[in-house]
Amino acid sequence: MPPLIDQSRCIGCGVCMEICPMQVFRPNKETRRPEVTYGDECWHCNSCVLDCRQQALSLRIPAPFMMLHVNASELEPGRR
Amino acid sequence: MLNVQRILDTDILIVGGGIAGLMAAICAGEQGIATIVAEKAHVRRSGSGATGNDHFLCFMPEIQKITLKEMINEMMAGQVGPWHDTLLTKVFLERTAEMVHRWHSWGINMKPFGPDYVYMGHAFPDRPRMYVKYDGHNQKEILVKKAKENGALFLNHHPVTDLLAEDGRVTGALLMDVREDEPRFTLVRAGAVIMATGCSTRLYPNSMTPAMLFNSGFCPSCAGGMASAYRIGARLVNMEHPYTHAGTRYFARCGKATWIGVYKYPDGRPIGPFVRRPDREIGDNTSDVWKSVFADLMANGTGPAYLDCTEASPEDLEFMRQGMISEGLTSQLDYMDREGIDPARHAVEFGRYEPLLFGRGLEIDETGSTNIKGLYVAGDPIGNFRSGIAGAVTWGWISAENASRHVKEAELSERAREDPLIAARLALYEKLLRRENGAPWQEFNIALQQLMNDYCPPAPRVRSETLLRAGLKYMGDLRAHALRDMAAPNSHTLMRGLEVLDLVDLGEAVMTAARERRETRVQHIRSDCPFTSLSDGEKFINVELKNGRPVTSWRRRRML
Ligand SMILES: Cc1cc2nc3c(=O)[nH]c(=O)nc-3n(C[C@H](O)[C@H](O)[C@H](O)COP(=O)(O)OP(=O)(O)OC[C@H]3O[C@@H](n4cnc5c(N)ncnc54)[C@H](O)[C@@H]3O)c2cc1C
Repeated sequence: MPPLIDQSRCIGCGVCMEICPMQVFRPNKETRRPEVTYGDECWHCNSCVLDCRQQALSLRIPAPFMMLHVNASELEPGRR
Repeated sequence: MLNVQRILDTDILIVGGGIAGLMAAICAGEQGIATIVAEKAHVRRSGSGATGNDHFLCFMPEIQKITLKEMINEMMAGQVGPWHDTLLTKVFLERTAEMVHRWHSWGINMKPFGPDYVYMGHAFPDRPRMYVKYDGHNQKEILVKKAKENGALFLNHHPVTDLLAEDGRVTGALLMDVREDEPRFTLVRAGAVIMATGCSTRLYPNSMTPAMLFNSGFCPSCAGGMASAYRIGARLVNMEHPYTHAGTRYFARCGKATWIGVYKYPDGRPIGPFVRRPDREIGDNTSDVWKSVFADLMANGTGPAYLDCTEASPEDLEFMRQGMISEGLTSQLDYMDREGIDPARHAVEFGRYEPLLFGRGLEIDETGSTNIKGLYVAGDPIGNFRSGIAGAVTWGWISAENASRHVKEAELSERAREDPLIAARLALYEKLLRRENGAPWQEFNIALQQLMNDYCPPAPRVRSETLLRAGLKYMGDLRAHALRDMAAPNSHTLMRGLEVLDLVDLGEAVMTAARERRETRVQHIRSDCPFTSLSDGEKFINVELKNGRPVTSWRRRRML
């Protein structure tokens, strides 16, 4: 579940743990580095992505959240 | 054994460091009043305004060329709807311009388009505009800095679990530190408390993704916050009226007014009468007037409804993109970019979201005060007023002005240290924390949502005496089950579990008020009372706890 931490970039500063409004990240018991612990509580607000200075974070949007869309050219009279 | 590990004293305790809470802290600080801001998450990025907003409702008659009365009429006709005591609307409107100037002077860009304020969006053609379009992407950063400069003490990751009161006045609150797995508790004694906990989500099943508890248009962490005030006797109002927002499907997010397009049927006909081509000046107000439009189109088979932006000019599309950044919609933008969803080519489906408690909740008077002495409310949890960001900003300020006055006379309670509620609540939390083989909080949140959805649904589905009576019985059963079976093995799950217990209290209040309103009105449809009563619309229903049970009473709407 979202978000994803790119371990090659993460320096374990803990900003994401501190600011995430849902407490999605919790510290690893041994290393104290952030881990995605409550991923299904993510609100996809993007705060972690915006505030991570290492650009180590990205959001994966789960399939049920897909944004439904069509080609606007299909919205034509006569094409019911 | 859980116990209180520290006691802090302050003049004003602010519950929730969202937009309203931070404004309250800044205002009180300017007057030399000591504040503690107890925030469930972290003030920098918490609440519905975490990453930005872009429409600020504001009364500036010299720019708008309208009277106060006309402005109020316009508000009632549009998104806000008729659930205000318009006396409060007046008090609010008279202070909005000052708030906008303040924000601009602090560094939140209220004039992103040149030397003047620009009114735009959420409007009817040829009618007055009400919203100043602004760039709020950095609003929380600026407010936090300002509140800190003004001496506020932030307790981040400290949700308030309970308020304390004696002899009809508030005395303080119990806070749970959720930074470590083992929760720790702080008692704050205060002369006044300002509830600024945001709107309550997660009461109804998610309208589009029922399997996902956290896919809400508004911040899902603000669930149940107002219940602690209700439990010490604060009155709720307008609980029976469902408020439903709308937006993109299935990625739920508020901010629909930032999109510049026309709502259309699948055959391309516009749904509403207001615009034929995308218009950045007014937007498309269809869903603010026909509040159930998206659900109705699905129910009657003529849907789905699309928002079509393709006829907007390239400049307008770029303008919209910038607006989405100001509005804090960057996660949605990133997603659309990744998936190749392009408003220049694609029409995006819109849907109606589930009801939430936004502008339904705690009742205030013109000073922001509840019926409990020293207890004030600001922002989304106010029940007899609603106006998004502008409401949060302005009532944050007004409530703090009045609370600051109040605390000059108020003395801290000695008895608060020994309040028997503290021991009783800690004993409950201990049980939830240590229970073995118990059930996770999610089970009870889902069960609550089932009950709300089946026995107290919003329009187009119906409510009735028999449904609501049954619903209330089952709600009591659910609370008993939760208290008997819920296990929350660490501070995080305990926080979520307590949110659910708060939501059960509020759900019961919603059902109780819905049962009392024996008429049909907007999204409250009673199959057994299909008429809309002429006089009852001018009367509001209060719910308050008496001897542990929700009790209703009627009062006149306080009109200008
Ligand atoms: C994407 C989006 C766009 C929006 N755009 C607009 C717009 O353009 N114009 C507009 O008018 N409105 C807009 N809104 C609505 C607006 O953001 C809210 O009305 C506003 O943020 C409300 O402020 P508040 O202070 O009442 O609540 P919030 O800012 O949500 O703050 C509530 C705070 O209380 C905290 N809290 C909750 N419970 C507890 C507890 N028990 N103990 C301690 N703390 C607690 C929360 O963590 C949070 O920090 C938008 C909302 C969203 C989500």
